Amino acid sequence: MADLITKIESLVRTRGQKGVAGIWTDEHELVEAARKTREAGIKKFEAISPYPIHGIDEAMKIPRSYIPYITFIAGLSGCTFGVWFTWWTSAVDWPLLIGGKPMWSLPAFIPVIFECTILIGALTTVASMLVINGLPKVDPPVIDPDLTSHKFALFVPESSGDTAKIEQLFKSFGAKDVRRTEF
Amino acid sequence: MANENAKPAQVGRYVVSTELKTVFSILMFLGVAGLVVGLIHDPQRVWMAYLLAFFYFTSLALGGVFFAALQHATKAGWSVNVRRLTEALTSFLPFAALAAAVFLIGAPKLYEWLDKAKVAADPILSGKAAYLGATSFVVRLVLFFGVWLYFAKVLVGKSIAQDSSGDENITHSLNRYSIAFLMFFAISYSLFAVDFLMSVEPHWYSTIYGVYLFAGLFQATMAFLILVILYLKKQNLLNGYVTEDHLHDLGKLLFAMTVFWAYIAFSQYMLIWYANLPEETKFIIPRCEGLWIPVSLLLLIGKFVVPFIALLPRWAKRTPVHLAAVSIWVLAMQYLDLYWLVYPAYFKHAPRFGLYEVTIFAGFLGLFLFTVSRFLSRNNLVPIKDPRIHESLHHHVTY
Repeated sequence: MADLITKIESLVRTRGQKGVAGIWTDEHELVEAARKTREAGIKKFEAISPYPIHGIDEAMKIPRSYIPYITFIAGLSGCTFGVWFTWWTSAVDWPLLIGGKPMWSLPAFIPVIFECTILIGALTTVASMLVINGLPKVDPPVIDPDLTSHKFALFVPESSGDTAKIEQLFKSFGAKDVRRTEF
Repeated sequence: MANENAKPAQVGRYVVSTELKTVFSILMFLGVAGLVVGLIHDPQRVWMAYLLAFFYFTSLALGGVFFAALQHATKAGWSVNVRRLTEALTSFLPFAALAAAVFLIGAPKLYEWLDKAKVAADPILSGKAAYLGATSFVVRLVLFFGVWLYFAKVLVGKSIAQDSSGDENITHSLNRYSIAFLMFFAISYSLFAVDFLMSVEPHWYSTIYGVYLFAGLFQATMAFLILVILYLKKQNLLNGYVTEDHLHDLGKLLFAMTVFWAYIAFSQYMLIWYANLPEETKFIIPRCEGLWIPVSLLLLIGKFVVPFIALLPRWAKRTPVHLAAVSIWVLAMQYLDLYWLVYPAYFKHAPRFGLYEVTIFAGFLGLFLFTVSRFLSRNNLVPIKDPRIHESLHHHVTY
């Protein structure tokens, strides 16, 4: 039994990437280091902080999310679905005469169509946010438990650049600690 | 965006140019000329045009008080730097009160419930006489304008006083005044709309009417505010104080109120359509017949669909030229909305629009722009000693 649990755990566990982490103790230093890291030509890296930091996205030059476009397309699909569904249910599959109005009376169905638009748009947005961010994570590798309280880190995966060079870079940016880990 | 925020914050002094003053005078002259000529030839029509223009600009002036009060009531920080520009709109309010007094002369030409013989012969109108009567109409009018003017004076006066004293207690007291104003405004503006616009068809009623006009007021106020900001920014008077980020948020509010208006307008329409009662549908039917069809469709598409699509992308709210075009369009549609509410009551078969409507609107526009620009030239463009100003200076919209 214990074997089975370990096996399942190892199957669903989120696997990290190998790379280099630099740790700072001040958020302004982190923003500065992030800017310099980006200016040093490293494109893909992560910043880890206990709380949201103003200006970090600009320092890292994180491009604007493309989720709004997904929302837009999902909303349009929901709207189209609503139009088709109200027509099919009330005028084709089971026609009911209500109040002497036409079978498919748009004013009566606009609330339904509207709700379909919002429902499908919203659910798709949340779902795509989770998928794009790789969430939820199951027991992911932890660089340092203190990153949830008072420390800040940058993490560069091995694929983003030469490890030894990045270690040098982080040290020159004033990192309190530089280590090779998984994240 | 980054460069704009990096500019040293510097607020300029607005000066109304002689050319502009001439334009305002010409507009006002056109209005008076239209009114005089019209009173001789077609008094009813002229008072209709007067009613629309009066209601239009009174709503904008009230929108200024409302928006300023909303910011105080919610203790908003982001909007501090644009608040003074909304306060400028309130400078029209005393003139609106005067215009309302002038309108009393023409009211009997428009409202059949002011005709004693008609009311006596009509059981519905005589049933409503306690509310829809000359005395109660004037009492409400005086009460509403009295309270509105009082609150406008307090909200704007204290805000300006803070520019020199920097007293934080002013901000705290404005919070309480604003909450009181908002509560009064919700009721009074609804009844104001009922008194002036809904009563052109006194047999018909709609309980959502006040909210409908409030949605239009908020939408038009945002559009006008955006235009004022873009105009002043073009003259480099708000450098560093009002940035693209403020415009972005005001654009979002304009977008939100576009949707809100459609929501309210549809709620009104759907309930009338569904219940199908003659006393309610008689408002919709003439507007769905003959040449009123294109007007109704233009209202639906122009006031909702066009601004909805035009403001949907992020860049749309951050591009001054685009935002200005949408705002002008929305302001035009606000006039169409009032037109659509009032004119079918008198011209059942086809819309009438001509020089009377244009000149009288021009007259009010001239007066409105004159008062607003005079206010702006006499006061700081930004409440420079508001305790929350730093929140607004560093306002940053990520999305």
